[in-house]
Amino acid sequence: MKVHIDEIKCSGHGRCAKYAPNVFKLSDDDGYNADRGQTIEVPAGEEENAQLGIKSCPERALIIVED
Amino acid sequence: MNDGTSRESIDPETTPEALVERFGRDLINDFDLDDPAFNDRFDETLNFMVRKCPVVHSTVGKGYYLINTQDDVRAAAQNWQTFSSAKGYMPNRPDGLPYLMPEESDPPIHTRWRRVLNPHLSPKVCASYEQAVRDDANELIDRFIERGECEFISEFGALLPGWAFFKNVLGLPIDDLAMLVNGVEEGTFAPDLDARAKHFAGVFEYLETHLKWRSTQPSRGDLIDTILAGVTYDDGTIAPWEHKVSILVDLTFGGIATTTFVMGSAIHHLATHPDQRQLLIDQPVLVENAIEEYARFFPPVVALGRTATSDVEVSGTSIKEGEFVMLAYACASRDPRHMDEPEKIDVRREGIPHSTFGVGPHRCIGSNLARVELTATLEEWLKRIPEFRVKSGGEPTYVTGFLRSMRSLHLEW
Ligand code: HEM
Ligand code: SF4
Repeated sequence: MKVHIDEIKCSGHGRCAKYAPNVFKLSDDDGYNADRGQTIEVPAGEEENAQLGIKSCPERALIIVED
Repeated sequence: MNDGTSRESIDPETTPEALVERFGRDLINDFDLDDPAFNDRFDETLNFMVRKCPVVHSTVGKGYYLINTQDDVRAAAQNWQTFSSAKGYMPNRPDGLPYLMPEESDPPIHTRWRRVLNPHLSPKVCASYEQAVRDDANELIDRFIERGECEFISEFGALLPGWAFFKNVLGLPIDDLAMLVNGVEEGTFAPDLDARAKHFAGVFEYLETHLKWRSTQPSRGDLIDTILAGVTYDDGTIAPWEHKVSILVDLTFGGIATTTFVMGSAIHHLATHPDQRQLLIDQPVLVENAIEEYARFFPPVVALGRTATSDVEVSGTSIKEGEFVMLAYACASRDPRHMDEPEKIDVRREGIPHSTFGVGPHRCIGSNLARVELTATLEEWLKRIPEFRVKSGGEPTYVTGFLRSMRSLHLEW
């Protein structure tokens, strides 16, 4: 499973990392998603958490690009 | 409607007559945030509007629209090019009130400021204040626990956010907090618009004096010093002094005028729902969910405004360039299109995309701090005062406009 983090839409709510800390990381500096503008691979076994993190993002900034 | 083809058919619940009968006014064409009936029937009105009235209009003053569904609110909040913050966030803004940065600005000016301010309120920095905030929560509880009762707002809820923000983030003395809390509250809710402006002016003056004083002191490398250092805008101009003052004012408004309502509402809910209270005591891991759920359901920021920079259509309503448009975050957080039974509070809910802290580039910069304050409140309160109830006759009282605030809540144990 691959997820793209929209660089512009992410505005630092931090919900993704709350629900899926092993998938989504926040930048230590500003608290926005650390991989903004990039596509990340969800580690095996973390799909469910990732889904919850994706759902909780108020900006819809997380897009699944590959199941 | 029954054959599924006549999309234009009229919903009997939203005819002007039905609305007047149920809500005392035609919500769709004649809405008013300051109507006492909105305050009294807050939940019912929000639940109705998000389902049945995607856009409503108010004729108060210069008039304004309210956008109510989660999809429309998100789209408008992210589209700052069309929905600009640069003309202010309040409907019928008092004349002469300076614009508040960063809230009342658009990118790229907004971006310049957020970039330097964000690191001071990041999740990591706010987590480092957690113990101090817990200690403050306990200090407040110490003052009244033996008495067996308290007025929650004045003795706890209106104090902790100010303490957390002033002591940890701004390094400001808390002695004058009561005056500032009152200034912000009256500046927002005073029935007389001139009185509102006067109260705001008092807050500006106080904070400007402090900022001036700090500019004569050695740097501490804190948020105030970041404000004083300022930013350079994309056209090469340097942010003027007034912008710096307004940053501090905006942060202070946010820092002291909002979290209280979520705290008071959460504590009131726990006082009246022993089952949910027991759930949090038995399973402390649920506190984190509970905070999101209380923030979702008890929004201190009902709606904030934008100005349309061009003609635009939202869910079938045409909005003309220059019109004032409010994003009803409170409605968007209970949109049944995005969650089950949004009118119910359940601390077990997980991952609900609420918009209590706003959406888009203006996302509340204090959201991480607010969450620390709310966590400290629920956890320390339940540890110290696990059994409590509303004192008879001490039911909460509210005041509502584009913000919602709890005025008092009497508890006993
Ligand atoms: C539960 C508590 C809080 C709630 C519900 C809340 C809500 C909001 C909302 C909805 C916005 C979006 C504004 C917009 O769309 O124009 C916002 C912005 C803001 N909030 Fe908060 N807030 C809270 C606590 C705080 C705290 C503790 C602070 C300060 C430490 C703060 C400071 C600000 C500032 C400065 C902005 C403007 C950000 C910008 O325009 O970029 N807020 N807040
Ligand atoms: S929840 Fe969404 S907006 Fe918030 S940090 Fe994660 S991706 Fe960004």
